[in-house]
Amino acid sequence: MRISSIDAIALIDANNFYASCEQTINPHLRNKPVVILSNNDGCIIARSPEARALKIKMGTPYFKVKEKLNKLDVAVLSSNYSLYGDMSRRLMNLLKKYCEQIEIYSIDEAFVSISRPNDKNLYPWARNIRSLIYQNLGITLTVGIGENKVRAKIANKLAKNIDYSAGIFDLSRTRNENNYLKRISVDNIWGVGKQTSNWLKSKGIKNARELRDMEENEIIKKLGIVGKRLQLELKGYKCLPLEKSKKSKKEIQVSRSFGTPITKLEDLTQALATHAIKASEKMRSQNLQSSDIRVFARTSKYSSQNYQRSAHRKLTNATDDTNSILKIVVELSKEIYNPEYKFSKAGVLMQDLTNSEYLQQSVINYKSQKDLKKSATLMRTIDLLNKRFNNNAITWAITKTQKSWKMNKNFLSRSSTTDIEQIPTIVK
Amino acid sequence: MDSFDSTTKKFKIPLLNDSVSAGFPSPADDYTEENIDLNEHLISNPFSTFFLRVRGDSMINAGIKDKDLIIVDKSLTAKPGNIIIAMIDGEFTIKRLSIKNDELYLKAENHNYPDFRFKNHIDVQIWGVVIYSIHSYL
Repeated sequence: MRISSIDAIALIDANNFYASCEQTINPHLRNKPVVILSNNDGCIIARSPEARALKIKMGTPYFKVKEKLNKLDVAVLSSNYSLYGDMSRRLMNLLKKYCEQIEIYSIDEAFVSISRPNDKNLYPWARNIRSLIYQNLGITLTVGIGENKVRAKIANKLAKNIDYSAGIFDLSRTRNENNYLKRISVDNIWGVGKQTSNWLKSKGIKNARELRDMEENEIIKKLGIVGKRLQLELKGYKCLPLEKSKKSKKEIQVSRSFGTPITKLEDLTQALATHAIKASEKMRSQNLQSSDIRVFARTSKYSSQNYQRSAHRKLTNATDDTNSILKIVVELSKEIYNPEYKFSKAGVLMQDLTNSEYLQQSVINYKSQKDLKKSATLMRTIDLLNKRFNNNAITWAITKTQKSWKMNKNFLSRSSTTDIEQIPTIVK
Repeated sequence: MDSFDSTTKKFKIPLLNDSVSAGFPSPADDYTEENIDLNEHLISNPFSTFFLRVRGDSMINAGIKDKDLIIVDKSLTAKPGNIIIAMIDGEFTIKRLSIKNDELYLKAENHNYPDFRFKNHIDVQIWGVVIYSIHSYL
C-alpha cells in the first residue's frame, strides 16, 4: 500500500522542555525533581523526569500539592519565558543546520524533512541530532520518523513509550507496523479532536490501525476531505506539506491573569493599558498596524460568577501608535467594566492587521502626514530606548502607579541566557 | 538625498559621500565601513554560546580574575589543556582539563586550590569549553 518515497519526515521534540531548560543552566537542579508552574503560579505544566518518577501529575493546581512537593524536596519554579524562548530559538536554529526543511510547530517541536536515498537507515542521523543537541544545549530530544507528518507524530509517540527505542523510532522501517499502530489510541492521533474520537469509538474504531483500515466512504461521509486525508496519511501517503514560511499573523494578543482578582476600574484600565503598550510595541517590531482594537476581561473559570465581556473599536486608519491605541483602550475598558464582578484575567487584541509597508493611507485621514511622521519617529525612539536600556526604560504614566493586579511569579528563575545581569555565577 | 527605502530595510546613505566640500576632501571618505561587532569576532557558534560570571581567584594564574565575564561554547568537545566549565555535585566550577598518568583531572590555576579527580565524585559533567574571558580594568 505504501508509496516508495525517498523522503522522510521527522517530528523532533524536546523532552520536558521547560524543566530541561532550567536544569541545563542551573546545576543545582540537575538530577533533582523539578516542576514548572503555569502563568500566575497556578498549575503544574512541566515536570522533569525525576518529578514524573514521583508520580506528580500534570495540570495539578499548585496549592493542592504544595506541602507534598515541599516534603519531597521538589524544586518549584514559575514559568520563565525569556529563558524558554531563548533556548527554543537556539534549538530551532541548530536543527535548521542539520535538516533540509523545518517547520517550527511549537516552542519545543519541529517537523523536519530529510532525504532517504535508497531507503537508507535514518537511525544514525537521528542519533547524531540527539547527541548534538544534547551537547550544545543540554536538552534531550525524541525523534519520530515517518513518511508524512501524521506518521511522524505517531512514531514520536512510540519513541516515547517504547523502552528500548532510546528516543528514536522509525515507523516506515518497522516490520510489524500493525502491532505498533494498535498501541496508538485514536484520541492520540494528530488531528483527531474530542468529537471525532468519540464518533470513531462509537463505530468501534479504537486505534490507529483500525482507523487506517476503516471503510473509506464512511470516513468521508462523516469527516469529509479532512478525514480522508488523515486516513491517507496513516496509510503512508504524503498529503500535508511542511509549512516552511510562517503564516502572517492574524492578530496580536497580550493577556494575563491577575495575581489577585481586581474589582476597581482603575486597576482594570491600568492592566489593559500595560498590555496595549506591549501589543503596539509587538506590532511595530513586525511592521504591522491594526484597524480593529479589542479588549476583554473575565472572571475566574473556577468562581461562581461567570462573567466575561469584550468590546472593540474599528478604525478608519490602521495604526501602531501607542498614544492613539491607549486612548481607545481606556475608553473600551469603561465599557467592559462592571463593579459587581471580580475580574481574574484581561487582555487586548490587535485585529485586522496589515503590513505597514503596503499600507495605503486613506485620503480622509484625520491626522496630517506631518503628525503621522512625528508619531512614527516618537514610537521608533521609544522602542530603541527600551531595547537599548532594559524594557520599560520609557513607558506611559498610566502604568506607573502601584500595581495590585500583577501576576504572581513567586518562584521565577533567572534570565540566565538573555540578561547580562542575571547570568550564572561560578564561585571559587 | 538622505535616505533610501527598499522593500524590507531602510538604510541611510552617509551624507559625507555626496557632499562637495570646498576645502581638502576628507581622506576618510572612502573608508566608511561598518562598526566592529565583537559578537561576530568572538563567537562562532552563537546558538551554543553562553555567558557566565566568575567569582573568586581559583583561575588567577590563567588570567581569569574575580568578576570576569567568560564566554562558553557548549558545542566544543573539551580536550586536555582547555579551560572548561563543569557541573560537579550541583555546582558550576571552572578549571583546566588536564591529564597525568593517563588520568584526566581538573586543575585549578592557583596553588591554594587542590586538583580535582573525577573518580572521587559521583556527579561530574563537562558543561562547556571556555573560549574567552573578559576582564574590566575599571
